[in-house]
Amino acid sequence: MIRLIRAELLKFATTRLWWGMLIGVVTISALSAAATAALAGSTVQGTSTPGLEDPAVLRGIYAGGLSITYMLTLAIGIIAMAGEYRHETMTATVLAAPRRQHVVVAKLAALTVIGGGYGVAMVATGVLVGLPVILGRGGSPHLTQDGIPRALALAVLAVALWAILGLGIGTLIRNQVVALLVTIGIVSIAEPIITYLLQLAEWGSVARFLPGTATGALVTPVTDSGGVSFSYLPWWGGALMLFGYAVVSGGIGAALTLRRDIS
Amino acid sequence: MTTSGHTLEVRSLTKRFGSVLAVDDLSFTVAPGRVTGFLGPNGAGKTTTLRILLGLVRPTSGQATIGGRRYADLADPLHTVGASLEATGFHPGRSARNHLRVQAATSGVPTSRVDEILAQVGLAEAAGRRVGGYSMGMRQRLALATALLGDPPVLLFDEPANGLDPEGIVWLRGFLRFLAGQGRTVLVSSHVLSEVRQTVDDVVIIAQGRLIRQAPLADLEEAETALVRSPTPERLAEALTAAGMHISPDRDGLLRVAGADTAQVGAAAFRAGIELHELRARDSDLEAVFLSLTSGNGGNEAAEPAPGDTPPPGSPDAGRPDSPGQEVPR
Repeated sequence: MIRLIRAELLKFATTRLWWGMLIGVVTISALSAAATAALAGSTVQGTSTPGLEDPAVLRGIYAGGLSITYMLTLAIGIIAMAGEYRHETMTATVLAAPRRQHVVVAKLAALTVIGGGYGVAMVATGVLVGLPVILGRGGSPHLTQDGIPRALALAVLAVALWAILGLGIGTLIRNQVVALLVTIGIVSIAEPIITYLLQLAEWGSVARFLPGTATGALVTPVTDSGGVSFSYLPWWGGALMLFGYAVVSGGIGAALTLRRDIS
Repeated sequence: MTTSGHTLEVRSLTKRFGSVLAVDDLSFTVAPGRVTGFLGPNGAGKTTTLRILLGLVRPTSGQATIGGRRYADLADPLHTVGASLEATGFHPGRSARNHLRVQAATSGVPTSRVDEILAQVGLAEAAGRRVGGYSMGMRQRLALATALLGDPPVLLFDEPANGLDPEGIVWLRGFLRFLAGQGRTVLVSSHVLSEVRQTVDDVVIIAQGRLIRQAPLADLEEAETALVRSPTPERLAEALTAAGMHISPDRDGLLRVAGADTAQVGAAAFRAGIELHELRARDSDLEAVFLSLTSGNGGNEAAEPAPGDTPPPGSPDAGRPDSPGQEVPR
């Protein structure tokens, strides 16, 4: 089992995907942290936004890359499976490990490690970039208070869970390009629109359970911004929801992989 | 590992893909220490059979075992069976060396073995380059390297000669013989008999998913054939038939005489006083036998290659002159 996990990690490390993704995560996290930290508390269209004294804002700065990073690890999860079908490497993978449940478990373990790694990179970048800006503006970083350590740990976990979520999708939709387009489309366009509409219709209690919003809940974000108030699950509720999504998706991936002919 | 290989056994194997019967009650065995050619036209079910043997595809019924075990039950698969299926299955962005390192990592094969096998298949210099830039021949070599990584006693190669240049094919022949000489079980599929005839000891011929014939290659080759031309073909045919020979028309007015050598044909013609314009031996008519075996009639009974068989209708090339180097893709 350890060998299979190591092989999965080696697969990931031997293509260019990993550092491309890393550049994306670090860049987005840095930009988001810097912008959020610099603009917090400013007045937008006559309404003032929460400032650096609000711990929710601080959490938003440190985990600023979250929404993009989880989408990237989602893509990694999809590619981990759909890519095997796309390049027909699934044959070699299953020849080496004919008990396919081992392959699935190894992939899940490897994706947890990989997703966790990107989560750590995201948080580390957010803190490193956010901190000087906060201090420069006379704010106080509160790194060890106000639920910030918990929020950051959960953000890392969320990023890992999204990678696992991708595995199931990549098994379900074996065409890698289609899988990526459909999923990223749903997550980055459809879900935010649906969430926004639900919130406007004051059905935010439904929107809370969508995967993206559930992820947002993990960092206990600002709930009132720009005149629209967003409702979130409590952090543990978000964690449970996201965990549920990952389990369902991983389960679908496992079941299909075990049964399917590879030709 | 130079210990003896395992016997492969395919028993009553059937695989149905929707309405298509890809493999139909197929049974055969493959012996260790020999190179066995797994032959049949494209779409005959060769690849499906190999994939079932390797546990990649689930049979509808029947079974395929390696040394008595299903692939999924092998304790250490990469050290037991090496397979190259087509020359695909490589991530284009990964180097050959890294591809092998990934495979090696799954089975505890040391990295030193990766470099060793790369040298053995002649890829040492290209090993660090991404496979996306590889030629078809290089991919075939990498597929072979993947199969050999665990030094397994059983080797399955699906169309390994595809994309190899003539030099590569010669190299492959020697390599397969070398592997079988070490006692391994070697099964090589091909849709072109001429490609493997210099390499294989046994053949398993299938068409439309059914077994046509399993035999040592020598059994297929024994039917000797002479080609003869005369300005009076009717009289010649009469005389040769009277002499107990089986004749059939070939192209360009040639007569094909099966089961006789040129001396016998010449003597019979001389006795009957018939003028001959051409008389030559045709080295074994293996390609024609193969084509007549695999074309049209998928039935087992009709497939007995009786010497002198008239080429079946719909197989105009069955009597094609001796050109073993040119195959007729069907």
